Amino acid sequence: MWSAILPILQTIVFPGFLFLIAVSFLYEWLDRKIYAWMQFRAGPVLAGPVGILQPLADFVKLMGKEDITPAYADRRIFGAVPIMMVALIFTFWAVVPVTGSAGLVSFRGDVVFALVSMTFFCMLVFLGGFSSADRFSLLGAERAVLQLLGFEIPLMLSLTGVCIHTGSLSLSGIVSWQAENGWTLLGPQAIGFIIFLVAAQAELERIPFDIPEAEQEIVAGWLTEYSGRKLALIRLAKDMELVFVSGLAVALFLGGPVGPSPAGLEWLVYPAYFLIKLALVVAILAFIRGLFARARIDQMVSFGLRYLVPISLAQVAATILWRLA
Amino acid sequence: MSSSYERIFDIPIGPQHPALKEPAMLKLKVDGEHVVGVDLDVSYNHRGIEKAAEYRTYIQNLYLIERICGICNVAQTLTYCLAVESLHGKEIPARARFLRIVAEEISRINSHLLWLGVAAHEIGFDTFFMHIWLDREITLGLMEALSGNRITSSYNVIGGVRRDVTEDLLSRIRKGLDDLEPRVKRYREIAINDRSILKRTQGVGILSPADAAATSAVGPTLRASGIKSDVRADDPYSSHDQVPFNVITSDGCDAHARIIVRLDEILESIQICRHCISKLPAGPILQRLPRRAPQGEAMSRVEAPRGELFHYICSDGSDKPYRCKVSTPTLANLPALVRMLTSKGRYVVNIADVPVILASIDPCFSCAARVERTGGV
Repeated sequence: MWSAILPILQTIVFPGFLFLIAVSFLYEWLDRKIYAWMQFRAGPVLAGPVGILQPLADFVKLMGKEDITPAYADRRIFGAVPIMMVALIFTFWAVVPVTGSAGLVSFRGDVVFALVSMTFFCMLVFLGGFSSADRFSLLGAERAVLQLLGFEIPLMLSLTGVCIHTGSLSLSGIVSWQAENGWTLLGPQAIGFIIFLVAAQAELERIPFDIPEAEQEIVAGWLTEYSGRKLALIRLAKDMELVFVSGLAVALFLGGPVGPSPAGLEWLVYPAYFLIKLALVVAILAFIRGLFARARIDQMVSFGLRYLVPISLAQVAATILWRLA
Repeated sequence: MSSSYERIFDIPIGPQHPALKEPAMLKLKVDGEHVVGVDLDVSYNHRGIEKAAEYRTYIQNLYLIERICGICNVAQTLTYCLAVESLHGKEIPARARFLRIVAEEISRINSHLLWLGVAAHEIGFDTFFMHIWLDREITLGLMEALSGNRITSSYNVIGGVRRDVTEDLLSRIRKGLDDLEPRVKRYREIAINDRSILKRTQGVGILSPADAAATSAVGPTLRASGIKSDVRADDPYSSHDQVPFNVITSDGCDAHARIIVRLDEILESIQICRHCISKLPAGPILQRLPRRAPQGEAMSRVEAPRGELFHYICSDGSDKPYRCKVSTPTLANLPALVRMLTSKGRYVVNIADVPVILASIDPCFSCAARVERTGGV
């Protein structure tokens, strides 16, 4: 009986959906606090202690607001995109290791599976913008796809380096390799880690790569026509994507949740390790957000193809040579 | 060859748009990301101030005129007062002239810092924006110490200035300027060295010296195209001939040059303020003038933070102006703006560059809305 209920509980409560939502709101708060701190602002302060409930309050408020669909929008796609975004991240969250070396689901090749989510998300962004029948949304959607050209290849190559280094195509294999060999992955794959973070920033559409939703240029880009419930879901999906991508970075480069722990307490210590490392990655991403001006789309794509691709190729080549030696 | 859909379509920047702080309409014709045509309409905010001025006395008009523009309110009242004073044909006391320069330069620093923050915001650099606006508080504090108000100062009056300064106040202003100077120097360093700022502003919004002269651009926009023109130097209206200062120019001709010119002007303004405070003559601050102005016409011009500001007043001998005409720097810079947005050649303007270019002339559309548009431009 228990063995039948446990997987369902794991999927829905911990480390599945509810846990993901709670962590997403928590790290959106952390992100906003760090960003505000860099700008001499206070950030959220009102809802809950030190404003920690603000993302939840924003979500609830947006859920209750008027939901408008433009008259000329493709109603079905327009309405489906927010739900599909949330469902997409829920699905792919299953492979991220939270409580041990393996996620809820683990199989050989789940690194590739996780990568697919990034492209998928971008396609949904495009669909959302395209179905809005709005000039600004259309431009935003166009920019999102162009941006994908710039960061997708370096992102894949940065993961390739890790896979070759550890000789594994599964996240659990990579995490346990790091557990066995100590923290020896981040050193040789440091460039890969940096490239992964830069590409993640572009995937998450944050400054300097918030080009598809550049406020001062195209209002809110592909998000322009979304409001109310749909916007709330999209924002939730974007928060969850932040946690998902940071979780991938933790598993791939920072050793995942596995670490020294008193016997029998792994169920408590491992998730704690995970959350701390996740906070570290989110903090780095927030710092990047605070330090740059927005790039232009042509600059972003040429930066990706001219600098990131050769550097990550060199990283992969060096890793292969190291494996052969 | 015909295609089933139009490749070129309109992007409306305005009348309400996050890049605009005031209502204006910029209809862009775009091909993908490239801007191929511009149609500009700024007459969304015509307030009839010039007509209203005809129904108020010269004294009442002070408070109306200063509401043409919040940021350059000191320049507006100064220009108005100069025009009325020249109707009377009276000189104002030397101390008042120096205090007017101090107020004018503080408001110039304030305006340029505000603009710099907005420019940083337009390229998506919000951290820079927040830091600059925090330091802008210093100048607002100085303005409050000097005039009693942070923004709408009502400092200039016909015949002089409203409030005198004490030794204590002067030392406070000196301290404020000392605090501000290293901050501005730091921002200048960042603006010159930060790659992400350079990427977005260098080579963007090119206005060649020939174009700048042909379109009659004014102020920092003109000076960033390498043309040395400043009303303070060309036509010293308020004892500026007794103050040593440099007219800042740059040969960059792009948005980045406009940033640097304004930052250098802040540093220059700090020096002007310091000089005026140290050389402040003794004497009265106000020359009382009669309520009725003699019959006649007068015009005056002032180097406002955004460029040359022009006032014209016609008097019929009563206590109210017969006609009042204002020409603001933004209006003079609009043809240059259109030239920048449609620049051809080595560089094609992107949609992403439009907010930067628009911000680079430091537009104040509500001040510029002096005429109603009836047809096409």
